[in-house]
Amino acid sequence: METQSYMPVPPGVGMEENFLSLDDILLSHERLPCRTESAFPRLGFLEKSSDNRDISEGTKMEMPLWLAKGLYERTRRVLSVELPKVYREGWRTVFSADPTVVDLHKMGPYYYGLGSQLLHFHNPENAEIAQTVLQTFIGRFRRTMDSAQNAYNEDTSALVEPLDSLERALFKVGQNGLNAFQRWEMGRASHLTASSLVVNYRKRKITDLQA
Amino acid sequence: MDPSEVEFLAEKEMVTIVPNFSLDKIYLIGGDLGPFNPGLPVDVPVWLALNLKQRQKCRIVPPEWMDVEKLEEIRDKERKEETFAHIPSPYYMELTKLLLNHASDNIPKADEIRTLVKDIWDTRVAKLRLSADSFITLQEAHAKLDNLTLMEINTTRTFLLDSLNYMYKLRTNMQPRSDAKSQDY
Repeated sequence: METQSYMPVPPGVGMEENFLSLDDILLSHERLPCRTESAFPRLGFLEKSSDNRDISEGTKMEMPLWLAKGLYERTRRVLSVELPKVYREGWRTVFSADPTVVDLHKMGPYYYGLGSQLLHFHNPENAEIAQTVLQTFIGRFRRTMDSAQNAYNEDTSALVEPLDSLERALFKVGQNGLNAFQRWEMGRASHLTASSLVVNYRKRKITDLQA
Repeated sequence: MDPSEVEFLAEKEMVTIVPNFSLDKIYLIGGDLGPFNPGLPVDVPVWLALNLKQRQKCRIVPPEWMDVEKLEEIRDKERKEETFAHIPSPYYMELTKLLLNHASDNIPKADEIRTLVKDIWDTRVAKLRLSADSFITLQEAHAKLDNLTLMEINTTRTFLLDSLNYMYKLRTNMQPRSDAKSQDY
């Protein structure tokens, strides 16, 4: 049975983020291309490409998702967020043609999460983005499932490589199911083994600490 | 759920044994068993049957469906039909494994039965995967799991449920929200 010393908080996936999810924290650091709609006085040090003291209106710069989300407001135009290229129309066509050929890890690795988060920014193409992200997931589902449930006792790194972080989590879950069944079928499930917690537990001895 | 837990549940199924000892009726929380008389067949749960068998106190009578001809019939039906065919026992996989591992000398043609059950299992799991895929692709709202056994559901349960959760969340993205209420930080 799969035992872990703690339960990781799963990512929120949708428009909400899970505060305690490590995946969502990493996701909030994804860079978004932005354009400032008003001047930011004395913040020029944030923009490495110019030596000005201020960030003037209309500057194009990249911002992490958490900052853009904080600054963005629909009514007060502080900054506008542009789409990263995977979510633009050109790539959307690629995804609708065949989602399985794309290496989402290279494009993402938080393709689904970031795609959902982008909907906060009231882009006119929001509906198409949401549709494409959903269709991509559906289109790639079969391959994720088949590779997760058929690869028994073999090197899975090639199978996992093009998967988004969300799909990787799914792949792991599928592999756990397969491995547990195979273990049962081989009759190895009835053998008792020490829990990984016990195996990894090391009692610190005072002599080791003082040495 | 771990497969061994499913196996544990399967051990509650009844099988017929022919004991070679005599014992009065025994009274257990789950029901009364026996009385046991040498040579007279009696129904007991699998766990007891295996225990008695290991101590060479009985002979296990294989269940009716555990028979090469019947299994061949089921296999052919399973291959022909698109939906899941009716299976004589909800724990066919577990019982086959338990009985064949511990009492193969009481079951005629044990090897053939093992292969047949494995064939049936493979056909059904392939079907299950196919229907899970079309369930996702067509974005269906509900599915009927007639004739599926616990062990089969168990192999894909977490995977399918997690995928459906993710898909649900991605789909709620598409609903135009009544928003206008921006978050305050």
